[in-house]
Amino acid sequence: MSRQESLSSATKEDKAEPPVTPLSHYLWVLAALLALLALSAGTALIKLGTWNTVINLLIAVMKVLLVISVFMHETEARKLTRLTSALGFIWLAMLIGLALFDFLTRSLVPAPWG
Amino acid sequence: MNAEVLQAPAVEEQFDDPTQQREAATLGMWLFLATEILFFGVLFASYTVCRVLHSEGFAVASRRTDMLLGSIETAVLLVSSSLIALGVRAVRMNERRLASWLFAGTSALGISFLVMHGFEYHKEYEEHLVPGLDFAQSGANAPAIELFFCLYYFITGFHSLHVFIGVVVIGVLAIRIARGAFGPRHHTTLELAALYWHLVDIVWIFVYPAIYLIGRAG
Amino acid sequence: MSAADPVMAVPNFLDRDYRLRAWLTTHDHKRIAILYALGITFFFFLGGAAATLIRLNLITPDGALLKAQTYNKAFTFHGVVMVWFFLIPSIPTTLGNFLLPLMIGARDVAFPRLNLASWYLYMGGGLFTIAALVAGGVDTGWTFYTPFSTMFSNTNVFLVVAGVFITGFSSILTGLNFIVTVHSLRTRGMSWFRLPLFVWGIYATSLVMVLATPVLAMTLALIALERGLGVGVFDPSLGGDPLLFQHLFWFYSHPAVYIMILPAMGLVSEIIACFVRRRVFGYRFMTYSMLAIAVIGFLVWGHHMFVSGQSLYASMVFSILSFVVAVPSAIKVFNWTATLRKGDITLEAPMLYALGFVGLFMLGGLTGLMLAAPALDMPLTDTYFVVAHFHYVMVGGSVMAYLGGIHYWWPKITGRLYSESWARFAAILMFFGFNLTFFPQYILGYEGMPRRYYSYLPQFQVLNVLSSAGASVLAVAYLLPILYLLWSLRYGERAGNNPWNARGLEWQTRSPPPKENFLEPPVVQEAYAYDQAAPNAGAPPNIGTQVSGGGPGGGTASGGGAAPTGESLQ
Repeated sequence: MSRQESLSSATKEDKAEPPVTPLSHYLWVLAALLALLALSAGTALIKLGTWNTVINLLIAVMKVLLVISVFMHETEARKLTRLTSALGFIWLAMLIGLALFDFLTRSLVPAPWG
Repeated sequence: MNAEVLQAPAVEEQFDDPTQQREAATLGMWLFLATEILFFGVLFASYTVCRVLHSEGFAVASRRTDMLLGSIETAVLLVSSSLIALGVRAVRMNERRLASWLFAGTSALGISFLVMHGFEYHKEYEEHLVPGLDFAQSGANAPAIELFFCLYYFITGFHSLHVFIGVVVIGVLAIRIARGAFGPRHHTTLELAALYWHLVDIVWIFVYPAIYLIGRAG
Repeated sequence: MSAADPVMAVPNFLDRDYRLRAWLTTHDHKRIAILYALGITFFFFLGGAAATLIRLNLITPDGALLKAQTYNKAFTFHGVVMVWFFLIPSIPTTLGNFLLPLMIGARDVAFPRLNLASWYLYMGGGLFTIAALVAGGVDTGWTFYTPFSTMFSNTNVFLVVAGVFITGFSSILTGLNFIVTVHSLRTRGMSWFRLPLFVWGIYATSLVMVLATPVLAMTLALIALERGLGVGVFDPSLGGDPLLFQHLFWFYSHPAVYIMILPAMGLVSEIIACFVRRRVFGYRFMTYSMLAIAVIGFLVWGHHMFVSGQSLYASMVFSILSFVVAVPSAIKVFNWTATLRKGDITLEAPMLYALGFVGLFMLGGLTGLMLAAPALDMPLTDTYFVVAHFHYVMVGGSVMAYLGGIHYWWPKITGRLYSESWARFAAILMFFGFNLTFFPQYILGYEGMPRRYYSYLPQFQVLNVLSSAGASVLAVAYLLPILYLLWSLRYGERAGNNPWNARGLEWQTRSPPPKENFLEPPVVQEAYAYDQAAPNAGAPPNIGTQVSGGGPGGGTASGGGAAPTGESLQ
């Protein structure tokens, strides 16, 4: 039985839900999440300059991907919901990206009037 | 375990069948989660801009937060996320009592998160780190510290509000599960609540390094 | 089944239950649409009252009518009400709510109770905000720029911001509802590229509503917090930046204008197709264009900040992207024009509004391009040129399309025909009044008259008087539809299922439709199948005359009515 529930082929009878994820998946993911937490806390205590921020950000992203792809799997599996979850983050990236671009390029060339 | 009469889902009149209804509900919830990302995203955007402008001040300020409590809170939320995911799984396997306990456990962990955070706030209040209420810091970094703590209270405040709402809803659902309101073929509400709780967790996953882990290596 | 047979005794959605409580607790998207229409109209005239004060004050250069701060409160009132309580909800919540399920062949939207909740949030937030605007007012402009709004204004900023915050959730929930509806509830055979362009317009609009409005909500919350606490992230003394506010505010507020225009574009496609009797030219490009506008529209917000202190490089990037976003709009204008070419055009009132839209939107859009060039924006920003630009697109564009849509679907919604000659007169009067009001403002802006000033230099008076005169004509033109449309509810000729002989699923059911929308499954055709006969499906027409008269084709009892001609609808 395919785990993908295809919208276009929905029929009148109630489709059976996908098979239940094994318990071990959840436990491994929890272990991984806690390990990542320990890693981020640990590396924060080591002086790595900009890399601290980079590592922390990467770890955060990995944690989020684990939560989304495993804990939220049943509903996340549809293409549409994957797109929806991506959309929120992409739009936020657009906001932060372009706004930061302004702040980071201000001193390069001052405006003609100032 | 009792033999359950498997509940038939009630289909609202605008839907043709239960599958369509369930898929619509989950799509709606995912869209709502996207709006929450953008809602909190404004705070993260403000944080990013301010931190880029005042990186040293933010590092000094971050050292004033309680990293131990923050780390425990993070662990608590991660565990609670797995509990509620397991809870939904239990309902799908028709293990009602287990599911009810798992939902109750999630709610309890949420409460513990709020309590710990309350302790954080209290400590910060005593150290005069509450802008607008009681803020008294000195030195060249004082303005940046105040800026940092403005963001800290805004972000954790909105987040805690969302945790509180989740705690209440999930607690109520735990009771309803125990009373047999849900079954393997009828538990969309639980899935939606779990999605909400995972979002609360996801937001915190980003909050934690942003607030607690800057400049820790001194 | 001929017209002589007794009609099935199924009540339409209006007759079903007259009690007020039934209306206020309804889950029916059609009733919710009407509830919204009442609110929208109410807020429109409130915003118009503020505009009246503004234009009266500007008749004389010394601004004798209002004190300076009162004038500031007047234009703030006008902006807040017109943007958030009229323009943004107008088409989606009225025509969108009513038509979306019908056009896709569904029984209702995906989440009817959420739909009702959206209306309560809208009305509650709206009335609360109006109260705050009236009892003391706000003088910051609808844009709430910091640090004035957070630190220096002595007015009801907190309350107004709170009211708009509440109303924002109405927008978010409506958008969410519509997106899920279009994905989940299309009837069998209604594939994406058979959807009417109005549905595509609503869909694209809903994407914008869902992705942009949360940003506004939190930004307003930050203003409120900074005002309440006396400290916040926009505070320069802490190292915050007022420009951060502008970035966050315009990230929402620029896409917001696409919320206002995309549904209007969808409406115009529907109307033009019907009154040219053919498919819209370049259907797929029309859909891609609307999606492109929705997406690219999120990347151009910095063009509101060219003179605010934004970096030059950022200004360049935003300028280029603003030029890019004009391309899909231009494609749409070309395609509407191509649809008209060698078509069988008739000029009923909806068509007059739609054609007015195309011309005025084009003018407004072109002047937007001028403002998108930083070199031109330098002298033109914060002048009446900008005011003229956005009124051309929002009023000459969106409002005209909205009125066109109201007229076009009036028979479907109410089961009555309005007076065509009065409607045409109002449309033409509106076009004339609109241009008299706003074209002089382009010149005023070019000559240097600043906006948001309660007084001006004497050399600007002639044009200001012309503009105010135009505003009075416009006011009459807006009041007329209220009068003849309400009149038609009682005395208008009853409409059949399809008085325009249009295509689209909504025309296959009765006028007004029954609560469940379709008594028999509608027949799905390709979009705008004007080269084919109207499907001979759906319930027999309700009691009353089918449109008949001089037009070819004659009145028939089921399915298509007479081809629309001017005289037959009098």
